[in-house]
Amino acid sequence: MEIGASVASLDPEMAAATAEEAAAKAQIDALIFVHRDADGTFGGAAGGGAFRVTAFEAGKRAVLAANEEFREGRPFVDGIEIAMGRGAHDRLVDLELSKTDLTEIAPQDARRAAEQGVRVSTSQPDELLALVFVSANMGSKAAGSASARSTGKASGRATGQNTGQPNGPARGEAAEQVMGHALSLAIDRVAIVNFILQKTGEPAGGLLPQWSSGTAFLFPAAAPTAADLEHAKELSKQIAASVPLVLGYDSADPLEQSVAERIVVNAKEAGVAVRAQAIPVAGAGAEKSHGAGLQTSHVDVQLMRWRMTSPLPGVALKDFLARIYAGPLAGVEASTFPEAGSPEDIYKQQRAVLNTYRVVPLVWLPQVYGLSARVRDWKAPGPGENWPLADVWLDAETQTPTGVQ
Amino acid sequence: MRPSCGLPLTIRVAALTILLGLFSTVAPTVSHAQVTSTLPKTWNDAVAKLGDKVAAAMSPTAVALSVENISSLDALKVAAIGAAAREQLQHHSFSLPTANSTAAQSAVPLQLTLSESAGGYLWVIQIPGDATDAKLSPTMIVSVSKSDSTEDEPEQQSLSLEKRFEWKQAERFLDFTLLKNPASSESTLLVLETKRVAVYKSSSRGWQFSRSTPIPETVPPSRDSEGTISLKEGKISFKGFECVGDPDLTGVVQCKISPPTHTIVDSTRIPGLPNSLGTLLYGECRGETIAVYTGEGDWTQTDFLQGYLVSLNPISAVPVGDAIQVRGPVISLQSEPDSSAVRAVVRNLRTGEYEGYIVTATCSH
Repeated sequence: MEIGASVASLDPEMAAATAEEAAAKAQIDALIFVHRDADGTFGGAAGGGAFRVTAFEAGKRAVLAANEEFREGRPFVDGIEIAMGRGAHDRLVDLELSKTDLTEIAPQDARRAAEQGVRVSTSQPDELLALVFVSANMGSKAAGSASARSTGKASGRATGQNTGQPNGPARGEAAEQVMGHALSLAIDRVAIVNFILQKTGEPAGGLLPQWSSGTAFLFPAAAPTAADLEHAKELSKQIAASVPLVLGYDSADPLEQSVAERIVVNAKEAGVAVRAQAIPVAGAGAEKSHGAGLQTSHVDVQLMRWRMTSPLPGVALKDFLARIYAGPLAGVEASTFPEAGSPEDIYKQQRAVLNTYRVVPLVWLPQVYGLSARVRDWKAPGPGENWPLADVWLDAETQTPTGVQ
Repeated sequence: MRPSCGLPLTIRVAALTILLGLFSTVAPTVSHAQVTSTLPKTWNDAVAKLGDKVAAAMSPTAVALSVENISSLDALKVAAIGAAAREQLQHHSFSLPTANSTAAQSAVPLQLTLSESAGGYLWVIQIPGDATDAKLSPTMIVSVSKSDSTEDEPEQQSLSLEKRFEWKQAERFLDFTLLKNPASSESTLLVLETKRVAVYKSSSRGWQFSRSTPIPETVPPSRDSEGTISLKEGKISFKGFECVGDPDLTGVVQCKISPPTHTIVDSTRIPGLPNSLGTLLYGECRGETIAVYTGEGDWTQTDFLQGYLVSLNPISAVPVGDAIQVRGPVISLQSEPDSSAVRAVVRNLRTGEYEGYIVTATCSH
């Protein structure tokens, strides 16, 4: 198996450097520990799970052997070799050359891989790509640039409770809301899905996907109409921004870069000046969504990827809100949002967040995996699920890839 | 398994007759009074709650309720929920003018969407607000557990499937059948391979090979052979030709090119049935026709068999009972004559062998 992340340590006590590493580490730990508790910590001793570690080279390679004594039954495969830190292109090439049995595929590469004959396994869309305003930077910047001219119906809605001539941070918040609204109207989510993602994904209008919440249809995400663009232009006229909005994206993420560049074009059509800026994630903490690094980088708005932690809409939304209000929206008052409980509460909570326009959902991404011809019984894991490597078996009649037992 | 639909010709023709008769004689609409009574109590409660919410959000007036289903609910349940919602609105003094009336033109449009989440069904009513901003439209949501759909149907019969292993071999076979001699306890197993019919006799040591009969090459060989045994008709059917022999087909067979057997039913899709291998069964359950269908996977995946009840009013099918898993793709599925059972040939992905099963559908409380 090949993955893109480089896992430095399998010790659950050791913090991961990036979100990608944390996710990969959690998956490997789930293979070697007996169980995972509700709080996300792993229970029992390492090696008590379906596999035990027989070799580990930090950031490069992990070799796992089947645990004969695993209480849920011995895995079908004898062992797994996980090659870490492999680039997306190299992983695909290795799969095509039968050098590996299983690998992660970037969503934007899924269609091309399938067209090249790669067996592709795709999960339900469970990862949100969204724009999130960075509270600490946006407030101070917008405060000096927003004129908050209340002209016409559109501006009345856009500024919400901020009537009259707001000052200081309040004026900044009003401008932020207007900018967010304009961007939300102008961004062509359908084009992002069709062209950048090659139709692997879904346009996102809400904070939860339809299959999970059942209410995503209430948050339309269709391509902008002429009226939407006109509305966005009206909104942008309210903001006499002298400098472009800085849109930060992960410098190591080609998908984020492509989407950021597309947003710049869409925003320009609506009269909003946006400048895309690559931000190195290293040093920004394990969760890039926390945005600590971005605040110091003078980014006004950032692209954020968030993978659902649970298929249950209430649990997932709570996790999302916890992340953004501890990260890019740190310091923003969130207590007015209703407590999520019933589906109606969850809908209202999403609506309340989206009405601030501090969060602009863009697309839902699935998790995509490439499989060799001999892999059997693989099922793409859903939110909160682990790689089902203990249940996978290999068809002995087909070719044996190098490095996999 | 997703190849062609394997309805035997006789059943296809029978189904065609039923379907054509249905189209010409039965109106597909269901009256509100009929359908309301079919909702489980918790569903009726949820509809009542939705009605209460609408009544709290707007004063009684003329409304036009449109229902959209984006969930897995079948057409009958959708109609029942829509009817119950209309009744609830009337209960709250809303009027529901008929579609083409003058009053309907000024009626407030209400949109009822039947949706589905990871946890259950969601029923959503939207009242139009600011026409330029959909987010300002009042939205009312109720949730219903999926398991509630059967809670008020304790007396309703359910369908269960049970599989019985009969035969396995390394070489591919297309179909098989069991012959029982009523005069003795001896049984015969016919295994139809691509080029022969193998005959096995039962013994204390299991099935023992008795003899085989070659299938004469009547048409050019196919890479994707399909063949079925029909004891009732005393023939073996292949793509493009068929063979007949002695009544139990255990002796020499003669083959000839057969005319095309496609009927209009080949292209008739029954809503609710998967696009996979399936067949109708002899017998009924809840007064409806029983069908068994496979999953929609491919030849690299394990498969399952699911029982369905095919309703003719309106034409639709719903899965009933639990599916049974098999260890590989089902490559052939044929109905057994005069019993609610099917013959399934499965390619076991782990062993690579082909296995034959008799799967019996039982309708019971």
